[in-house]
Amino acid sequence: MRTEDLLAAMVADATPVKRLRPPLMRAALWLGLSVLAIAAVVGVAGFRPDLAERLDRSWEVAQLAAAGATGALAAVAAFHLALPDRSDAWALLPLPGFALWVASLGWGCVADFVRLGPEGLALGTSWGCLGFILGLSVPLGGAMLVALRHAAPIRPVPTAATGVLSVAMLASVGLSLVHHLDAAVMVLVWHVGAVLVAVALSAGLSRPTFRAARRLSAAFA
Amino acid sequence: MATSPIRRDDHWSALMAAAQDGDRHAYERLLREIVPFLRAVARRRLRGEADVEDAVQDALLTIHQIRHSYDPARPIRPWLGAIAERRALDRVRSVARRAGREAALTDLHHETLQGAPTNEGESRLQARDVRAAVAGLPPGQRQAIELLKLREMSLAEASARTGQSVTALKVATHRAILALRRHVIGGERD
Repeated sequence: MRTEDLLAAMVADATPVKRLRPPLMRAALWLGLSVLAIAAVVGVAGFRPDLAERLDRSWEVAQLAAAGATGALAAVAAFHLALPDRSDAWALLPLPGFALWVASLGWGCVADFVRLGPEGLALGTSWGCLGFILGLSVPLGGAMLVALRHAAPIRPVPTAATGVLSVAMLASVGLSLVHHLDAAVMVLVWHVGAVLVAVALSAGLSRPTFRAARRLSAAFA
Repeated sequence: MATSPIRRDDHWSALMAAAQDGDRHAYERLLREIVPFLRAVARRRLRGEADVEDAVQDALLTIHQIRHSYDPARPIRPWLGAIAERRALDRVRSVARRAGREAALTDLHHETLQGAPTNEGESRLQARDVRAAVAGLPPGQRQAIELLKLREMSLAEASARTGQSVTALKVATHRAILALRRHVIGGERD
């Protein structure tokens, strides 16, 4: 096809389009909706019995805050990365919070070991945690990828990875309010593991998922 | 009239804003004006003109697809440039993949199959035809061909061996080649 013919076809197809709102505003809207959805799931599941006692420990509050901040910053990063003219460096935004969260969990493992000895590091299975985080990440992450579908021809992998990191981190905060996991090593393995699985899946499957999201939104347009 | 890059940026930005609102004339003008810019970006990455043009067309399609993601409050060139750059890099990758899968044709590819033994049958048949044609030549011509072409003697050596003059050998060879050509080509036409 000649470039000239392509231009003519594009001009013929130039219907009015609705401009995207600024990325910060879209991220804020998205975060509001996600927090509502996660709050609803937490409401149905019920708070863990020892929540009040936990929230008295400033260390645990800081840990939750780091996880929540990572989720929020990852959403801001994803909405920026989806635009062609923004810097790749936005992908780095959620990393300090994520590192802080993982480091605090690691430090928690050390504290458990000092307090309880080797038993403090006994690792059980908690498929429930994995299920909770992945169960929330799949629908919320899918919805986010639909909102970010214009990133598909630009930076599909970093956009999908930060978008799903945001969702998984918020789900992890929600899970911490519901589930009774005492040992830091369990949180480290099951929460961090679930977040990493969600991010790896979304990065690996970003191209086909974006394609599906585009088809889906075109079908409803 | 030459416009400064900033003025041109504002001009393109205004055209894109109008295009987003459905103004086809503005869109057409914008697209025509940005094609050389897109081409320049693609040329920084790609060599072949056909590949450059493919990258430009891919960039145009992407621009069309995500034109709602441009914010008219921001400069347009980084937006266009990033899209053109992505599509050029995609094309670089596909060129590399193609190069890995394909190889230029060489003389070997004119054979039925690669490798001497697989083509031996054909060359033997051809050699037999040539030998039969040489055997059918008049004795003088046959001798000239055998000495000069098959045994690769020089004219002086052949002249010494046969006692014929160099000129006579040349004439005989010339006639023999003409006769062989007629025979072999005529045989193929049958």
